[in-house]
This record gives sequence, C-alpha cells and structure tokens, in this order.
Amino acid sequence: MATEKIYEAWQRKGISRRDFLKAGAIITAALGLSASEVDKVMALLQERHRVPVIWLEFQDCAGCTESIARSQNPTLSSLVLNTLTIEYHETLMAAAGFQAEDNRRRIMQDYRGEYVLVVEGSVPTADDGVYCTIGGHSAEDLLKETAEGAAAIIAVGNCAAYGGIPKAKPNPTGAKGIDEILTDKTVVNIPGCPAIPEAMSNTITHFVVFGELPELDEIGRPLAYYRNTVHDRCLKRPFYEAGKFAESFDDEGYRAGWCLFKLGCKGPTTYNACASLKWNEGTSFPIQAGHPCIGCSQPNFWDQGGFYTAQSAPLMEPSLPMALIAAGVGAAAGAGVTVANRMGKKKDAEPASQEEEKASE
Amino acid sequence: MTTLEMLDFARGEFFYGALLFFIGGMSYRLVQVLGLGWRSDRTAPKKSQPLGVVVSFLRGILILPFIPWVRGTFQRQPIVYIAGGLFHLGLFVVIFFGTAHVMVWRDLLGSVSLGFAWPSLALPLVDLLAAVAIVAMLVLLMYRLTHPVMQKLTGPADMLNWLFVFLPMITGYLLTNQAFLRYEEMFLLHQMTVNIMLIWIPLGRISHFIFYFFSRSIHGSEYAKRGAQV
Ligand code: SF4
Repeated sequence: MATEKIYEAWQRKGISRRDFLKAGAIITAALGLSASEVDKVMALLQERHRVPVIWLEFQDCAGCTESIARSQNPTLSSLVLNTLTIEYHETLMAAAGFQAEDNRRRIMQDYRGEYVLVVEGSVPTADDGVYCTIGGHSAEDLLKETAEGAAAIIAVGNCAAYGGIPKAKPNPTGAKGIDEILTDKTVVNIPGCPAIPEAMSNTITHFVVFGELPELDEIGRPLAYYRNTVHDRCLKRPFYEAGKFAESFDDEGYRAGWCLFKLGCKGPTTYNACASLKWNEGTSFPIQAGHPCIGCSQPNFWDQGGFYTAQSAPLMEPSLPMALIAAGVGAAAGAGVTVANRMGKKKDAEPASQEEEKASE
Repeated sequence: MTTLEMLDFARGEFFYGALLFFIGGMSYRLVQVLGLGWRSDRTAPKKSQPLGVVVSFLRGILILPFIPWVRGTFQRQPIVYIAGGLFHLGLFVVIFFGTAHVMVWRDLLGSVSLGFAWPSLALPLVDLLAAVAIVAMLVLLMYRLTHPVMQKLTGPADMLNWLFVFLPMITGYLLTNQAFLRYEEMFLLHQMTVNIMLIWIPLGRISHFIFYFFSRSIHGSEYAKRGAQV
C-alpha cells in the first residue's frame, strides 16, 4: 500500500506553500546541503511518499526519545515525526497493549519493504531473552520480526547501537546492540547517551528525502555526524595543545576553562558532533559546561576505565600484592639459576679468574 | 577484532601481562647480578664508602653530562656523546613529565603513593625534547651502521634494543601530534610497542637503566675503599 505523498500530506493539513518552502530550506540546511540544492530537495519533497516509522524500545531509558521529542529544534522534529513520516512509537503513541501490537503488525503488513525501523535500547539474549518481553514476545523475536520487512534500520542511542549501559560488565542480561543480531542487514547506528536529536532526525530525514542511507563509518555511524572526534572540534583544544590542564574540579585552571584531559576526558577517541552541533539549539555541550567527555558514542564506553581517570591510564594494572608475587617469582628463579650455576662451576672446578671477569662486566 | 577492541586489549590484559613480566624479569636479572658477587676484601677502607657512593652518583649525574670534556668519549666522539646525552634526557623527561605519562604513573602508583603526584611539564617543551630524542636516536643509528668498529660490534640484539625503544618513541610523538593515523589507531600502536618494550627490557640490555644505579653504587664504594676517589 503506497502512502500519500509528502506534499499531499502538507496540503491536507492546510499548511501554506510558503511554509512548505520554509520547511524545504530547513531540511536542506539540516542535511548539510548547500543553499543551491534547495530546489532539488523541494522537488524530492513534492514527489516522495511519506514513510512509516516503527520505533521500538527494548532495554532503554527512553532518553533518546526524550532527546528527539524535546529537541530545541521543534520544527525539525515535528517535521520528521508528523509530516515526513507516520509513526508507531511505543512511548509517544496513544494506543496501548494489544491495540498497539495490532498497529505495528498492520504497518508491517501494509507497508512491507517501505517502513523505517528505529530501535532504541539493547536486546537481552541471556536466558532466552526473558529480561525484556513485550506482549509476551522477547525483544529478540520482535526485532527480527519487525526488521524483516523494513526498508531501513536505524539504531538510536548507544544501547541499540552497541549494547550501551545494559551491556556494561558483567552484562547480566547478555545485552547486545542490534547489529549483532541483525547480522545480514545494514544497521545505521546513531550512538550517544542520549543521541544528539539532530543526528537522529536528520538521518531519518535523509532516508525519507533521498530514499537511501547516508554514508557510514566502519561501525555504522553516519559520517556527517561522526567523522570527527569531540577533541578535534573542542573549544578547549588550544589549552590542550598548550599543555594547560585542569588538575581538579575546583582549581584555577578549571575555572579558567583549561582542558579536561587529566580529569578523564575521553574526547580524543570519541566520534560525535557534540562539540560542533552542541545541544539545546547550539547552546553548549558537556565539556563546555565543565564536565569531561565520557565517550558515550563509543562502543563499551561504560567499561573504558573510570569517567574521571585519564585516558592514557591502563585499563588493567597489577595490584601491589600481584606485583610483589611477580617480583618474588622472578627473584626465586634468579636465585635458583645462580645457585645451580655455582654448583655446576664448583664441580667443574673452574679457575676463579673467570668469575672475576664476569663480575667486572 | 576492531581497532577499539584491540586497543582495549592493549591497555588491558596485554599491558597487565607485560608489566608483570617486566617486574618478574627485572627481579630475576637483579638477583642474578647480585648473585655474581665480588671478592671479599678484608682491608680497612681507606675512605668513607657511603661518601664514595654519593660522589660516584654526583659525578655520574651532575658533572659528567655537563662538563663532558673531562671524558675521553666526548673528546673522541663528540656527536655520539651529545646525541646519547640528549636521547637520555629526552626519554627521561617524556616518560616522567609528559602529561599522558604522569597520568599513567598516578594511576599505577595510586595504591602506594597515597595520592602523591608530581606535575607534568608544559606540553610544547616535552614535545620538543621528544623530537630531539628521536633525532638523536636516528643519529646514533647512523653512527652504528656506518662506523667500521661499531659495525663489527653491532649484533641483532643491539638492533632490537634500538627498535624497541624507537617504536614507542615515534608512535608516542605522532600520537601527541595527531599525525598520519587516527588517534585511537596511533594510541593502539603506541600501547602495543610499549608493551613489547616492557617484555623486551629484562631480556636485553636496556635494563641498564636500573643496573646503572647498582654499578655506580658498587664502584663508588669500592673506589673509596681503595682510596681511589673522594
Ligand atoms: S577537554 Fe577533552 S576534548 Fe576538549 S581538548 Fe581537552 S581532551 Fe580534548
């Protein structure tokens, strides 16, 4: 069943031509295209059909939903959620229980091969998936069933992308990111804790407008938002280069806005657009607000050493007793070999001068 | 295995194993050296032995590097002498005063140092000394490869000694300056080469950085005993 065209939906809602043009400009800018490409986007918006979105939630905190719903760019998020797409969203929709399940099945049937599946939250695989079930079905079954007829699959947030917090050691539920389960499909990952709203809405928009997925990096993230590290674009970078580091959260360097590397900043290895797009309509981002980056868009960020431990520090180090044991074993071996050598030498009755030679080496 | 997973391994299990091997290996070597022993000499010491040790260290660390012309090595091979000195200086400063390394020490010594930590030196200064040390290493390598006597003295182990120090140096320098590879890729190379170096040290001659202090102590004390110094 084909959906109505985007422009038709606009007209049906009584939105003026002028607003349609405005929306086209917003979308063009959001997708990072140049102003000269507005015409192309407008043409596509007139031609293309609305795309149904099924938004599933598994082991999550709904933070990514909060992030996109409370995005300070309401024009864009409402565009995405209301005008460009038709949605099935477990948190936002009015339907509940079996009615909601029926909705999902209906969309899956009617729009097979056309809908976009967005997943938030990780999938538990331990103990037959009992740790997260909806309507009596395990998250894994629901995911596989819904992914089957999807035109595109997008994992939002670190949990859906890489397992996130539920996967933190010792990972009691056997949590996995969805691309570990949907191994034969392309999954677009928009990691973050939560994900940046624009990265989510723009990626969905990109698919709706162009009918194809954006260019991805090797762990499935759209390059448009994950090409650079936070450190690459950080406003404290000049302090880093100059070697000016805050030593504690209340020293003078901290108050002067110096680099947070020594306080545990994971910016150098974290690929995300926080430092350039920022949050709350470009107001600020964690480092600007004085907190080191915790690396929330990277796989296993929860197990990358302490949030306040500098990144150069090892992830595992021997305890003092362990180090003493190693030293003891080495010393015992050294003593054993020395004694054995001496006994051997005595037997051979070697001239003393040799030993002397060795000692002076 | 992705780069990030390998990096986790290099910073985790591999580093753990390499450090334990280093500690065990060094203590093995130390006991062996002590086990060599020296002949007992019952003559009364001519001068104070503890003082002899102090003088020996002062000469070794404070006088010889700064007044090099007292040494034959300097007179005969000034370039080698200066390159060697700058290399050791650079290495020392980078390892103990580079920001990233200070944080490693802070973490490693956390349980014994009771929070004591020393500050790092300004990055540009450390960076400069690192570059100087790297150039010095290259000069020393050229010398080793071209000098007829050194050619004869150089064996595979010497080349490995050079390589296992050079690799962490160059990867560390490139990591700090974010050149050629992505940060995490260079971080991985740096951590791997550091781990390999930790394993190599007890096996090769780089261990002199600890034995130097023993030989200085013993020589100082022996010289004083025989009245040759102080
Ligand atoms: S605060 Fe973090 S991201 Fe910013 S320059 Fe320092 S280390 Fe890099």
